Amino acid sequence: MANLTKAEPSILHNLAKHAPEGNSVSWSEIRGKNLKALNQTAFPHKKIEEWRFTDLKPVERTAFVPLNEAGTLPAADIEKYFIPESDRSRLVFINGSFQENYSSIGGLGKGVTVGNLNGFTNNSTVAEYFDKLVNYEDDVFTQFNGLMFEDGAFIHLEKGAKAEAPIQILNLYTDSAKPFVATPRMLVVAEEKSDVTIIEDHIGLSQNTYLTVPVCEVKVKKGAHIHHVRIQRDSINALHISRPIAYVEKNSEYHSYTITLGAKLSRNEPRVVQEDEEVDFTLDGLVLIDGEQIADTHSVMDHRFSHANSHQLHKVVVNGSAHSIFNGKIFVRRDAQKIDSFQENRNLLLSIDGLVNTKPQLEIFADDVLCSHGATIGQLDPEEVFYLQSRGMTEEKAKEVLTYAFALETIENVKVDSVHKLLIEEVYRYTKANTESKVTA
Amino acid sequence: MLELKNLHAEVEGEGIEILKGVNLKVNKGEIHAIMGPNGSGKSTLAKVIAGHPEYEVTGGDIIYKGESILEMDPDERAHAGVFLAFQYPVEVPGVTNTTLLRESYNTIAASRGREELDPLEFDDYIREKLDLVEMNPDFLERSVNTGFSGGEKKRNEIFQMAVLQPTLSLLDETDSGLDIDALRIVSEGINKLHGEEDAVVLITHYQRLLNYIVPDYVHVMLGGRIVKSGGKELAFELEEKGYDWLESLAKVNGEAK
Repeated sequence: MANLTKAEPSILHNLAKHAPEGNSVSWSEIRGKNLKALNQTAFPHKKIEEWRFTDLKPVERTAFVPLNEAGTLPAADIEKYFIPESDRSRLVFINGSFQENYSSIGGLGKGVTVGNLNGFTNNSTVAEYFDKLVNYEDDVFTQFNGLMFEDGAFIHLEKGAKAEAPIQILNLYTDSAKPFVATPRMLVVAEEKSDVTIIEDHIGLSQNTYLTVPVCEVKVKKGAHIHHVRIQRDSINALHISRPIAYVEKNSEYHSYTITLGAKLSRNEPRVVQEDEEVDFTLDGLVLIDGEQIADTHSVMDHRFSHANSHQLHKVVVNGSAHSIFNGKIFVRRDAQKIDSFQENRNLLLSIDGLVNTKPQLEIFADDVLCSHGATIGQLDPEEVFYLQSRGMTEEKAKEVLTYAFALETIENVKVDSVHKLLIEEVYRYTKANTESKVTA
Repeated sequence: MLELKNLHAEVEGEGIEILKGVNLKVNKGEIHAIMGPNGSGKSTLAKVIAGHPEYEVTGGDIIYKGESILEMDPDERAHAGVFLAFQYPVEVPGVTNTTLLRESYNTIAASRGREELDPLEFDDYIREKLDLVEMNPDFLERSVNTGFSGGEKKRNEIFQMAVLQPTLSLLDETDSGLDIDALRIVSEGINKLHGEEDAVVLITHYQRLLNYIVPDYVHVMLGGRIVKSGGKELAFELEEKGYDWLESLAKVNGEAK
């Protein structure tokens, strides 16, 4: 191990010695580069502006062990998480390890390559982009992932290829004797005028404690379209720190919808970087949390060229003593004119003990742009509750209906039917759960 | 049907009295119009009868069908047949008109001993009612009032009234925001819905609604009280003279009450 350690070693630094061997020259290089960076990077703490509201002590103070020492239990009954549309376009990972027997990749049509990254070490697309698109400043989590990853999802669409079915990337996390760390990885490259829908799902199968650090790199080339749904249904004791980053080229579209339901502590940092003019991108989010959950979204929408449409609707419902943090950065670089950017963070606070921190952050260096942004924190509108009551609904039912309606808007655009239904059910389950636990709004 | 006895109410927690002793008696089969300038307490009166939690009744009583309903929640009052058509109907994105109405209809039906309707029966039932207010069936599948024009919202309120079949309808400025055609449609709808067994209380600024819906009684509200009552001719008098000539009636011992 390099002796360049500037940083006070954290649990992640300590686990670094368990990094796997590189199975090719290029991957050894990637691991080497990330190890070096990790050893020079300090674990974040609350005195850093970006981490002011999110305390990572649950990560630091958990005695995580390498996966092979964790005593993981087998996963059972996982077929129920398969979405029917992806019957022949599904990759399954358990605790980050690829499961060939549960995966199925025959149904995508011509020009679409899907598989475990580990089998594509010599692929030229992988060589060109893998770990090259990650761009998070001094970030131990991406470095850790870049050092520890073994398997991952690789999706490649050739020029003009249209995936015939949505691709489901199913990440399951099992019960274990000791807490472990998983490092899921994704690389998506959509060549010119290709089109794909991706459903990325993270599901905790028990109440287990684990840390997952998914890193996802996406390249959307000229005229390509990607619809990316990300569902976080981790265990209630899990820690989830994800870094999805997308680069959008001329005339391309990238639409991402993140639904955050699980984990004790989650930190999601989606980023979209514009690489040319005439692009359209979305970074919508829905967060439904309760109990002691903490859900933090730090996003970046980086407008570097003229003529971009961008959209970010981030809706949050907080109950119990849960805590939501939102920091949405919108950059509009000099000369990036004619930008139409919409950002709105709406928070519905259902309980007295819930907490919301929100910080829309616009940094605009061009003058001919339209950027609307807003953040609201509120309770259910008593006038709306009264309206429904006056139509015969009980107060509880009225609140349930209104919370449901509030949350529904963000998932309306999810275009895979079974996933849309599933999300409606999740929203319904959440609002129901709330009525049972006595809403105090 | 409805009797208000010296009803006093204030905004909850603010101590500002808005209703200062309202007395009113409405029998079944009757239509009453309550008129008065802005800020006289007309809308508050309707909300208090419907049970809006923003207001606290500090004195007097509301007797409905022979019993005090002060302790009843708004939904319980709705179950008992009270209906408030809102001055500003609330938008409820994500909940379709059909969903809201079926939910409402069935809970009210259950509590009033009527038969609940399954989705198919309900569909037939509400389509009949649509014609009454000349509403497009598309409205059924749209989110409640979301993106509706002012006139469409008002029409939707009367549509809801048609579906829920209340025994006491409080119509709060249902005429405002309606063009002349919509006013006619809405008024005709209300006239068809009203019968011997129910009562309607219209709250309005203007006499023009009363050309279409002829009230049995007209009341003038000023300063939180009903200061004058009369037949439908009172409305014409108000249209002609305004409210100023009644101001003195709102004062007791020279002080505004």
